[in-house]
Amino acid sequence: MKEKDIKVLIVDDETDFANTLAQRLKIRNFKVGTAYDGEEALTRLKEDEPDVVVLDLRMPGMHGMEVLQEMRKGYPDIQVIVLTGHGTDKDEEEAKRLGGFGFLNKPVDIDILEQKIKAAFNEKMGRTMPA
Amino acid sequence: MTDNFEQELRFLQMRFIGKILAGFTHESKNYLAIIKESAGLIEDMIKLGKSGEAASSQYLEITHSIEEQIEKSAGLFKYLNRFSHRMDTKLSGFNCNEALEELIALVNRFANQKRIELAKDFQQDLPQIYGNPSMIQFLIFSFLEENIITLDQNSRIIIKTETANGSIMIGIIPEGNLIEVEREKVEFPYETYDIVLKQLGGALTRLKGALKFTFPLKVSDI
Repeated sequence: MKEKDIKVLIVDDETDFANTLAQRLKIRNFKVGTAYDGEEALTRLKEDEPDVVVLDLRMPGMHGMEVLQEMRKGYPDIQVIVLTGHGTDKDEEEAKRLGGFGFLNKPVDIDILEQKIKAAFNEKMGRTMPA
Repeated sequence: MTDNFEQELRFLQMRFIGKILAGFTHESKNYLAIIKESAGLIEDMIKLGKSGEAASSQYLEITHSIEEQIEKSAGLFKYLNRFSHRMDTKLSGFNCNEALEELIALVNRFANQKRIELAKDFQQDLPQIYGNPSMIQFLIFSFLEENIITLDQNSRIIIKTETANGSIMIGIIPEGNLIEVEREKVEFPYETYDIVLKQLGGALTRLKGALKFTFPLKVSDI
């Protein structure tokens, strides 16, 4: 499986951040979509069917943890990487408890994010591929 | 004044400053993250050997975005710096609108989280007043926070200033629907606020329900 087959959805209310990160991931051959709040993200899941979601926590409206919870209920195979500016240990524990795959802090090194996305995708394939 | 009051006030003030700093660092980190990604995108494009008119235009767009983030950061830094220096002395002459403007800039993020708009309705050319601006900011923050917690999403809070009868009035006027809040989880220490306000020579009035406040403050000759 190559990067071009991996569909990523970036969810962040900072539009400049989401768009710039999307461009960088596209350069790295990922298929990337963006959503600027939790409600939009949940809608986009149905339309885009991403493999991996990169999710901010503190956004207007739905908090990232609520989005994560909803996603795990409706789309348990989609892997979620939390990418936040203010990740506390408590947030990280909560994200893990809710089934998040990874937890990264902003600003993030693009290589680390890329590796994490690939690992999340492999996890998804491991879960969905027949044994 | 009781020890309990002093302890409660100290706790609330520390909490206030903590919230302001948390909001500031959150916002700053976001600006830095955008700058980092923008710089990274330029690096990516250079590595790909992107050149020509279209690429030049994109490079310019990215550098403008970096400049914009730096300007936003500098604006926020200016507000935090001014906010911090208000604590240098217990009493000072100050412009109420300026003190409120910087407070709004520093708490805007909390309101944004609930899509609540903080709208300024300031009377221009307010006379300077003499007092404790930090304490006034603390009180206004407390009332704004209460409104932000108890108002539904997409509401509006108007922060109004005007002169009336030799005093400056600051009004916190919520517009929107109230939501159910678990009161045991969110305590609003009104008694403490009342005492602080009296110490400042002001008075608290609630009009049309529990969420409207006015503060008369004596204009001083300085």
